Amino acid sequence: MTRSATPKLVAYAALSAVGLLTALVFARPELVALTAPFLLALGAGLALATPPRIDGEVELEQPRALEGEVVAARIELAASAPVDRLDLYLRLPDGIELEDGSNPVALRLRSGERRELELELRAARWGGHVLGPVYLRAGDPLGFLTWETAAETRRELRTYPREDVLRRTLTPRETQVFSGNEVARTKGEGIEFADIRTWAAGDTLKRVNWRASARRGDLWVNESHPERNTDVILFVDSFAEARRGGEGTLDLAVRATATLADAYVRRRDRVGLIAFGGILRWLTPATGIIQLYRVIDALLDTQIVLSYYWKEIDVIPRRTLPPNALVIGLSPLLDPRSVGALLDLRARGFDLAVVDISPVPFAHRPRGGLDAIAFDIWTLRRDALRHRLQRAGVAVVEWQADAPLQAILEEVRSFRRYARHARA
Amino acid sequence: MYAIAVGGSLAALAIATGGLSLLLLGAGLVLRWPATIPWAVLASGAGYLITREGHAVVDGWAALVGVALLLAAELAFWSIEHDRRIRTERALVVRRVWTLVMLAAAALFVDFVLLAAAAVTASAGVLLAAVGVAAAVAAVAVVLRLARA
Repeated sequence: MTRSATPKLVAYAALSAVGLLTALVFARPELVALTAPFLLALGAGLALATPPRIDGEVELEQPRALEGEVVAARIELAASAPVDRLDLYLRLPDGIELEDGSNPVALRLRSGERRELELELRAARWGGHVLGPVYLRAGDPLGFLTWETAAETRRELRTYPREDVLRRTLTPRETQVFSGNEVARTKGEGIEFADIRTWAAGDTLKRVNWRASARRGDLWVNESHPERNTDVILFVDSFAEARRGGEGTLDLAVRATATLADAYVRRRDRVGLIAFGGILRWLTPATGIIQLYRVIDALLDTQIVLSYYWKEIDVIPRRTLPPNALVIGLSPLLDPRSVGALLDLRARGFDLAVVDISPVPFAHRPRGGLDAIAFDIWTLRRDALRHRLQRAGVAVVEWQADAPLQAILEEVRSFRRYARHARA
Repeated sequence: MYAIAVGGSLAALAIATGGLSLLLLGAGLVLRWPATIPWAVLASGAGYLITREGHAVVDGWAALVGVALLLAAELAFWSIEHDRRIRTERALVVRRVWTLVMLAAAALFVDFVLLAAAAVTASAGVLLAAVGVAAAVAAVAVVLRLARA
């Protein structure tokens, strides 16, 4: 513990010295009477001051929470020496708010006393939040000395982003070889009817279409589309973001990514992740609930890190981008490096859809003058950039913050259904 | 107020010193600057000393003035230390008030004893003055030593 004297100690010592010396100089006993209370307070305060011995520990009700959820936290204090006044402050990181309870708080602990302080914390924003340390400041009864320390008790609260409800997801153009929920374009063993053809050696009897065979006088069998899984790569642009108040484009991107990952994992598709930004992260595609948690855990560590290093898509391992995978890009299209990487992916023949998380609602348009003109030019250049991507055959849809994700995905679906396929 | 009540030839100067004391105290409280508090106390003490100019008899009210100055300084420091963002338990406030009351009572008792002892007149010589100065310096040294320990 770091001990320090308060300004009061210095003031009282100075007053005592000046008072006593002045009393001697002027030979006035009244001055001694004026000084004696300060000297008495000083002596009593220092005599009563004992170094505190406190242990502090923070416990969380649960180490994981959903965005917006309230989590109980308990601060346990144990004093082996009396503490006349203890100021306690648990440092809360950005994204964690105090819902109920007192922080900071001033209290008193007797020798051997144990106290538990209950706090209710609201996980306001997704992310891996570290609570603590607990700052402790103890004082003597008359406030002449203070002891300060920080109890290095840190607890991590991993806050998962809240998810939207999706009724339908984007379907990739091509499927993979494993069974899943997506009806493949190819013909094979499956449930969905595809076509009929003449019987060939090896066809089972149950596949014979008796009605067609009776009409044509020959044996005809049904063909079907197999149900296959797909590979989906979620591409999160973390080079730059637009932020206003407590909300930003990265928040929307992370929530949308978690929602999409959940939806695709439920369909037994393989899901991979590329967080393309100042810090590059990737996850090779896999399926199952464990992969979903891997994706979300990787998302929690995603943050905007300033970097001038020019990254290209080559830096991503080849296995992360399997052939015939659907790549869904979630980007505010603010950084040319991410735009270049998306165009590069399209040029390599990947099935690419881009959700342009519009930064425009997070920027304030100036009232007039050159700033307003610059703002308008910026929005026009964004439109031009979207058209450039669309000309390359990329389904691009602008996502305003207040629109539901399902509506945006439906727009992407309709674009992919009707748009002419540009030559990559 | 004391200066007005007592009057005397230097009453105006005492009132001015008292005003300065109030000004310093107010500035310290408003600006949350504890360094002004001892200056305010010193100015009050000086004002009191001015009112006692020309009086040979030891003033019995000095005990109350001393305790009042201590209480004023304590409350001023308390006000400056107080942070509205820190929720203080009620028991802590009660204890601090109780500590202040006890301190004031003890200071009053000590002052009365001191003034009673001072009332017994003694011829002040150079030797006695030197002993007094040494005692005062030693007292402050002991206090500072305790603070460093």
